[in-house]
Amino acid sequence: MSFNNGNNPNDFINDIDRMKNEFKNGAKFLGPLIVVILIAIGGFTSFYTVEPDEEAVVIRFGKYLTTTPPGLHFKVPMGVDQVIKVKTKRVLQAEFGFRTQDTRSRRTTYSSRNYRNESLMLTGDLNVADVEWAVQFQIADPFKYLFQTSSPETNIRDVSESIMRRVVGDRSVTDILTTGKVEIETRALVLMQEVLNKYDMGVRIVTVKLQDVNPPEVVKPSFNEVNEAKQEQEKSINQAEGEYNKIIPEARGKAQKLVSEAEGYASAQVNRSMGDAEKFTAIFKEYKRAPQVTRKRIYLETMSTIFKKFENITVVDPEIKGLLPVFNKSLGGEK
Amino acid sequence: MNNKIIAPLIIVVFGLIVVGKSSLFILNEGRQAIITEFGKPVGEPKTEAGLHFKKPFVQEVRYVDKRILSWDGMPNQIPTKDKKFIKVDTTARYRITDALKFIQTVRNKSGAKARLDTILDSATRNIISSHNLVEAVRNTNAIIDKIKKEKAEIAEKVKNGQNYVEEGVTGEIEKIFTGREQLSQLIVEKADGELSAFGIELIDVQLRRISYEESVEKKVYERMISERQRIAQKIRSIGSGEKAKIEGRLQRDLRRIQSEAYRKAQKIRGEGEAKASAIYAKAFNKGPKFYEFIKSMEVYQSSLKEKTNFIISSDSEFLKHLKGR
Repeated sequence: MSFNNGNNPNDFINDIDRMKNEFKNGAKFLGPLIVVILIAIGGFTSFYTVEPDEEAVVIRFGKYLTTTPPGLHFKVPMGVDQVIKVKTKRVLQAEFGFRTQDTRSRRTTYSSRNYRNESLMLTGDLNVADVEWAVQFQIADPFKYLFQTSSPETNIRDVSESIMRRVVGDRSVTDILTTGKVEIETRALVLMQEVLNKYDMGVRIVTVKLQDVNPPEVVKPSFNEVNEAKQEQEKSINQAEGEYNKIIPEARGKAQKLVSEAEGYASAQVNRSMGDAEKFTAIFKEYKRAPQVTRKRIYLETMSTIFKKFENITVVDPEIKGLLPVFNKSLGGEK
Repeated sequence: MNNKIIAPLIIVVFGLIVVGKSSLFILNEGRQAIITEFGKPVGEPKTEAGLHFKKPFVQEVRYVDKRILSWDGMPNQIPTKDKKFIKVDTTARYRITDALKFIQTVRNKSGAKARLDTILDSATRNIISSHNLVEAVRNTNAIIDKIKKEKAEIAEKVKNGQNYVEEGVTGEIEKIFTGREQLSQLIVEKADGELSAFGIELIDVQLRRISYEESVEKKVYERMISERQRIAQKIRSIGSGEKAKIEGRLQRDLRRIQSEAYRKAQKIRGEGEAKASAIYAKAFNKGPKFYEFIKSMEVYQSSLKEKTNFIISSDSEFLKHLKGR
């Protein structure tokens, strides 16, 4: 290419001709290049991978063709075959009365504040219970799941709410709050599956789990009060039993002691009496041999021991009158 | 030179594409189609998905959903036959069974929704308000049998002298004659007839939520609360009753143990003494005079204390020799 001042029209025509030539030369390569690009694009768009937790529904010209398992698959490109991937292996969860907020931290956090209208329901005895539950389901037939109903998840939610209320509605609130949980879960599962089968929407319910079953928020404290009362009842009974157990065994022991003492006393009495009796018998035997002398001897011996104990013995001759001065003298200062 | 062939070829291909495009159409899964010729429906609706033909240019295709569609009603406040105000929230599923009729009468889904709203709301209102509340809550009478059984068990317990507090929440349990499922079935039957005029088939109506109107709800809560409190009080009072019983038993047993012991002890003592006294009597009866004497001697010895002042007459037996008589 040469540079000139641009005033020469011949030069300009020459330039265009030259560019035409150059283009013609380039077109020789451009043709194949476009074909290669088209093939490449076609190649890329005619393969697709299905992840391990998925299955793919293939639609050809709008019509269902097949369902393909995980792996690499071929399809007709250019919009002829349409592939819709569905997570069939994954267990999906619908939550009622609460929502799982955060499962990343170690403890999963839940929120249930704003879903009261989902969880409050009438029970069979026309009371109200607050029932939170979750439904886990799997897509059993991806084609039916996609094309049988317009909004499969809404259907699952609607049916689940309706069925749970029906199951709860057939039970008393006491039953629901205390014992009937497992029964409710299994019953709800069966009934839900029944209704969904009627829609033929390719969903399999895996579990129905009752999360939290409570009396309504406002009523809760009074339910707790009953529990507290039960505790109190137990406590006061235990206290009374404790008192009983503290006193009665001791009293039994004391009673035993009293009886034993009496027994001791009785046997002492008997033994003493026997001793005394034997002693008397022995002495009496001797006495009978020489009554006069023995009697005298005993008398005198006794007197002598007695008199030894006395501090002050006054012997009074009955013939002496006016003893008082003597007594005053000998007894006055004592004590 | 080349252009003389290429140009018409392009025109022909282009023409073929245009004709093909307007004579072929793709019907997707989950849809059905009606072919109209200058606005007039022609032939049966196409329900099979795939490629279909139509006359180019003169015929048009209109698509209608083939899937089961959902309808969600607004919660409605309805008085029941027994004059209880409740909020009823229903959902329904329907299908377009007659696409032609559907298009002619309601045009599209939002048109259908408007009809569904009126028809289903009025059917729901009608059915609910002509039944008692329990009919919309319960499905069976199983609860009545169950409660009967429980009552019998409680009666048995009470008869056996157990202290039993009826802890369950009481409520109104009436016999039902229709039941919840039957009620929604009635709504379906009522509405389905009207909806068939729009080419719509109603599959089901679900009573999604039934709840008390706020003021009723408040009363129910109040009743539940007062009942709980009553039960709590009863439990407490049974507790103190039990306590008193135990305390009474304590006193009774204590007194009994103590008095029994006393009685037994006294008896034993008495018997001991009686025995002793018999032994004494037997022995002493051999020589009553001597016994009197010797006992006196003993008693003198033991009863007279030391340091006693003693005045004795010299006439006494003991001192009779003192005067030398």
